[in-house]
Amino acid sequence: MRDKEGLLVGLEIHQQLAIPTKLFCACPPVKTDEFPYHFERRLRPSQSETGRLDPAAVFEYAKGRSNRYYWSPESACLVEADEEPPHPMSGAGLEAALLVGTVLGSQLVDEVHVMRKIVIDGSNTGGFQRTAVVGLGGSFEVNGGRVGVQSVTLEEDAARILGEDSESRHFALDRLGVALVEVSLDPVRGAPEHVGEVALHLGRLLRSTGRVARGLGTIRQDLNVSLAGGKVVEVKGVQKLNLLPRVVEYERKRQSMLIGVAEKLREKGIRKVSCRHRDVTSLLGASSSGVVRRAVSEGGVVHCIAADGLAGLLGWEPEPGVRLGKELAEVARANSLGGVIHSDEFERQGLTGAEAAALAGAMGADHECALILVAGRSEAVSRVVPLVEARAAEAPSGVPPETRAATDSGETRYMRPRPGSQRMYPETDIQDIEVGDEVRRRLEREAPLPWTESVERLQRAFTLSRDLALKVYDSETTGEFEALAARLGLEPSFIASVLVDLPARLEREGVPESAVGLGPLTASLEAVAAGKVAKEALPEVLKASAEKGVTVDQAIRSLGLGVVTEEYVSRVVREVVGRQTKLVAERGEDAFSPLMGEAMKELRGKADGSMVARLLRRELGLARSGEGSTGQNGG
Amino acid sequence: MGDLSGYKGGALRLLRDAGASIGDVIEIRTDFGTVTGTLVPRYLYGDGEHVVLKLKSGYNVGLGLSGLAKAKVLSKGEKPSFSPPASPRAAKGLPRVLILGTGGTIASRVDYRTGAVSPAVTAAELDSLVPELSEIAKVQPELLFEVFSENMTPQHWTRLAKRAAKAVGEKFDGVVITHGTDTLGYSAAALSFALAGIPIPVILVGSQRSSDRPSSDAPLNLVAAVTVAAEGSFSGVYVAMHLGESDDKVAFHGGTRVRKNHTSRRDAFSSIGVPLAAVFGRSGLEHVAEGLPARGGSFKPRPKFDGRVALLKFYPSMPGGLVRAARRSGVKAIVIEGTGLGHVSREVSSELGRFVKAGGLAFMTSQCINGRVDLSVYDTGRDLLHVGVQPLEDMLSETALVKAMWVLGTGASGSKARELMASNVAGEITARTFPG
Ligand SMILES: [Zn+2]
Repeated sequence: MRDKEGLLVGLEIHQQLAIPTKLFCACPPVKTDEFPYHFERRLRPSQSETGRLDPAAVFEYAKGRSNRYYWSPESACLVEADEEPPHPMSGAGLEAALLVGTVLGSQLVDEVHVMRKIVIDGSNTGGFQRTAVVGLGGSFEVNGGRVGVQSVTLEEDAARILGEDSESRHFALDRLGVALVEVSLDPVRGAPEHVGEVALHLGRLLRSTGRVARGLGTIRQDLNVSLAGGKVVEVKGVQKLNLLPRVVEYERKRQSMLIGVAEKLREKGIRKVSCRHRDVTSLLGASSSGVVRRAVSEGGVVHCIAADGLAGLLGWEPEPGVRLGKELAEVARANSLGGVIHSDEFERQGLTGAEAAALAGAMGADHECALILVAGRSEAVSRVVPLVEARAAEAPSGVPPETRAATDSGETRYMRPRPGSQRMYPETDIQDIEVGDEVRRRLEREAPLPWTESVERLQRAFTLSRDLALKVYDSETTGEFEALAARLGLEPSFIASVLVDLPARLEREGVPESAVGLGPLTASLEAVAAGKVAKEALPEVLKASAEKGVTVDQAIRSLGLGVVTEEYVSRVVREVVGRQTKLVAERGEDAFSPLMGEAMKELRGKADGSMVARLLRRELGLARSGEGSTGQNGG
Repeated sequence: MGDLSGYKGGALRLLRDAGASIGDVIEIRTDFGTVTGTLVPRYLYGDGEHVVLKLKSGYNVGLGLSGLAKAKVLSKGEKPSFSPPASPRAAKGLPRVLILGTGGTIASRVDYRTGAVSPAVTAAELDSLVPELSEIAKVQPELLFEVFSENMTPQHWTRLAKRAAKAVGEKFDGVVITHGTDTLGYSAAALSFALAGIPIPVILVGSQRSSDRPSSDAPLNLVAAVTVAAEGSFSGVYVAMHLGESDDKVAFHGGTRVRKNHTSRRDAFSSIGVPLAAVFGRSGLEHVAEGLPARGGSFKPRPKFDGRVALLKFYPSMPGGLVRAARRSGVKAIVIEGTGLGHVSREVSSELGRFVKAGGLAFMTSQCINGRVDLSVYDTGRDLLHVGVQPLEDMLSETALVKAMWVLGTGASGSKARELMASNVAGEITARTFPG
């Protein structure tokens, strides 16, 4: 049972604010694709008053890599380059964050103090992120339960990583300094799906302020996941909401496996996993394992680690996809090696029994002892071996406190040790900002309706289904939707489905969603309202417009879909009835449906279905029914 | 009573009544609820209406007094004791380098508890922050004085020059001076004159990004400076600062021809009208200019300065009264920064003439920064020559100011002083101007 495992998930949502500049300079928050300039820096771990260095910082510095920053004057200036002090904080950004705090019922601080949070992975040119708490506490309701808010902070986004190699990490400065609001929630207990719902709800709540940016990449979730008897693991960068439950579930499985390994070790009476290693390149130079052979032929080395007590536990897989061996491989990968090969998978990796025996002999390994091979460039191997040993030695303590990254497939991978706490000190380049009573009162007045009420209002005012109303709300086209409904005199549910369903449907048919923007959607609705094209033809029209890069009107013309005259429709209907006089005589009113089908075969896309139905009824002498009704209520 | 630095007014009373001091964990009850955190110092100009707490998450928040009912001390803070990580042991036989501190922090650590930044003072502290140093030289840090660079005076230059000169007798292989960047150029010029002919390298070094941040340019600049002080083949006074925006190269500028040309960039310093003296890169010294003085030789420091010199910048409509005011304030020499080739208005020109007639020294430099003054081309220039204003070739204005102070400090006056101003003492005047 999951409940017994004591799964706890703390959620931190980072949402980009919709303001015209970055948080501490006048650069616009836009994405850039070409970077005419670059420079290179090294970050040094800074020492605390006690002389202690942050483990996460030392880890990054020990990798010995420099950071290369690429930038364009389109999206960055000397502030992002850490060549100019930050400008005063954007007032619009601060207000937006304070509004979020107000909506969440947080206690707004009386004075905002900007802090420097040490981040040494290169993603901030200064080696720290500027961040400030604007609100404490608060809560909101999800499905009848309360979710507590810990804090609301206003912070600058990090640089965008472009890639990395053995010498440097490469970053783009366009995203650095973009204003984000971060909402940290109290840990939530319960199923992974519940975490997804909480995030969805909070996302809608943030969007209800109208001050947050839209689109992919403007919202990012970090998680703190723990199980009873384990430690908190930080998972960074879940970009898609629907991945959240999967990431949580993966972490649950992974941590449960790690706790299981610790239990097994305890049962065997092993409290400490001791490791030793040696160079085994000469033993394996002609190995039958491709990985090993390749490393050696490229001038690399192979080291073997013997880890007492771990035999059989590295490949142990209590649930699919989680093994201690995989964790060790991730440590190697985080340090630019391909991974490791351990004794539970020697055979699968192509090592012969003789080779395994030779290794065991060389390492003096007994049957309880696991062997781990690390292969690659000599310098990298000597750096990674102690890290792998340290990770293996942590096995008896279960879940190590780490920072991990979410992958696109909903798994997590090792990034670095968790940073020590309190690596924060005041940003002396920015003055403290007082939040006056006047501002508080104004924000309270400006606080938007709760999103649930907005959705209910849409349902009521436009007789939309809850599902459709939610979709309109989520697509953030509420304003456009209401305007079109008022202006075009078309069925609101039709307008709504064109706005929110059609783009997704077309995407499934291979038309990129971005190619079907609000412009073409509006134009196509206008064409329907003006009687230029039939409702049924809209998918085809929009597809043609997107694919050929022409306007909606041009697409209608090029498809020969211009609506035909009522006279033409009457003629077609008369012909259909004329061909089927026998059917009409036999079935009377019941002939309507088959005749309608036949008429639409000729008229689909050219004439509106309701017009065809009306004329067909008239032809059949059933003309008393109202327009738009295709029901057989002839009477 | 405990330390409550920065607090005043109602906030101070509240905290004092609660018996709180900086670093204590305290609880503050507000209208909204209770906030617990470590009491941190308030900045100098903060009002008396807020108390600043550092939350467990590390964030600082300011809590308004109007909503405060009570403050309570939960636990007394302990001053963290500093134990530097073991520094690598210096190998025997390394060169010895004296590092003189003047107040700029070239290396520091942060008290994350209160946010205070403290400079590294001892060799052990410095070694633990910049471990590379111990592989280059046996360094001896010495804090000479602590002033902001803008408060530096000729008396400070004298003390620096005397201490550096003494280092020669103490068999140091080189001297490194850590210095705030704002007046780094002036101090470099001053030492160039005072220590002209010094047989060892004297390197002034600063940083444009404070040393408490991981991205500081200080460590690389310091490593480069100590390297050249320890093993550079040349002697004399130089400034070591980043060559570009990247942490890859450090430029060495001659002490009399260097200028801070940007307020904030790492590569703010440029050599004006002369090539870089040297460049330090990944593999050590990558480039050394020709003609630098070699190590060795004998020298006699002349460390005295007379501060009674004014540097005036001419501008359109400048009243001649400013020159008179300078004279009345006791100034014995005026360096005037003219336009273009070295021009000023007729009014200022005749005031300068009166100043010279009364026994003052007047020198002309150009506000163009690059290039050479020439008073023979236009009538205005010839008038200036005629009234006794002396053109200073391509000498930088700031260098000219410092040199005039030094010249007066040697006791020279009148034509002897003018002669010394016109002669090249420490590379401040070049005979030929080059493109670039
Ligand atoms: Zn900028």
